[in-house]
Amino acid sequence: MRAKKRYILARIEPLQPDPDPKELYLAILESVTGLFGDAQAARMMPGVMTCGAGYTLIRCVRGYEVQLRIALLTLTSVAERRIALHPVATSGTMLALRRRIACMRPLCKETISPLHFRDRDYLARRYPGQKVDLLEKGIKRQELLFLTQDDLEET
Amino acid sequence: MDTDACTHPYPAGNSSVRRMAIDAGALGFGGIVIPGARPGEYHGVRIIPAIIISETDIRKVTGQIRKGGNGGALLLVDAGENGFNRAILAQKGVHGIRRVHRTPKNAFDHVAARLAAENGIAVDIDLSPLLQEKGIVRQKVLSRYNDLMRLYSRYHFPLTISSNACSVLDLRSPDEICLICTLFGMDEEDTGRALQTVGTLLSPADPVTVVP
Repeated sequence: MRAKKRYILARIEPLQPDPDPKELYLAILESVTGLFGDAQAARMMPGVMTCGAGYTLIRCVRGYEVQLRIALLTLTSVAERRIALHPVATSGTMLALRRRIACMRPLCKETISPLHFRDRDYLARRYPGQKVDLLEKGIKRQELLFLTQDDLEET
Repeated sequence: MDTDACTHPYPAGNSSVRRMAIDAGALGFGGIVIPGARPGEYHGVRIIPAIIISETDIRKVTGQIRKGGNGGALLLVDAGENGFNRAILAQKGVHGIRRVHRTPKNAFDHVAARLAAENGIAVDIDLSPLLQEKGIVRQKVLSRYNDLMRLYSRYHFPLTISSNACSVLDLRSPDEICLICTLFGMDEEDTGRALQTVGTLLSPADPVTVVP
């Protein structure tokens, strides 16, 4: 018999770049297994349906949505990149959650520009409002800083 | 006002104080506690300074409490052995005891719990090991918090909840914290109360109330 599913809409932070869906799936599976064990993960059957534009849709078997939300909260990295997932809504259909994404304001209207900050070169992503994310230019150990426009103006 | 009882912005972490405040506000917090910060408000989020004392000698702790007290900052002491904890919980001026999960199993017992309840000293629940750690380390922390909740249900000492976030990515909203706290048997009502404890610690109710 086909099990009923529930879908969880989660916000991804930082907004850019979006994680690879397969890597995100593996990270979620590891998080669920680490917290609730293999048996519970097998019953839960988590899966990433879509991932992009700062949001992801994650599927699980009905009845396990609370446990999946807790597991999502304990997820801190995807393929060695720091990430945070904030569950926004749960629904029985993907359509309802897609409508919800459409209703929410777009998250990715950022401007990207190079920036020299405290003797280092960064790529600055400026979001509407005050938020500015700085990613250090380079190949190894790229420092990621979360600042505000006021912080940049002060220095 | 829901308050995150300890965060660590730049330079300890990778997020500035202002950014922490903006993101905490967006998640639904009314305040954040920051060690060594200046008191203030940013984007409607109150920034509460704290002094963290990490000493194992009670005389040194007493000296630091005398120095740091009366400054409007939250005085938090790192927990230690059983005798040390009992001595701390009998001290005036201490607002909270933290890192109980790092102490030996019997370090915070029923005597310490009763002292905390009598003196209104909060016990901090640090969520960072639940998010950052895995396997046996996380299991041990969960086990300690289960023990703590057993004592809490009997003695009702104040609790605070801290994310100990070094980055905005480590912050969790009050609703999310409620979910995480269910892992060690803390219900929604108790979590809500624990999130509001910091405000009570800074402005405790008068022992005598004048009824007109």
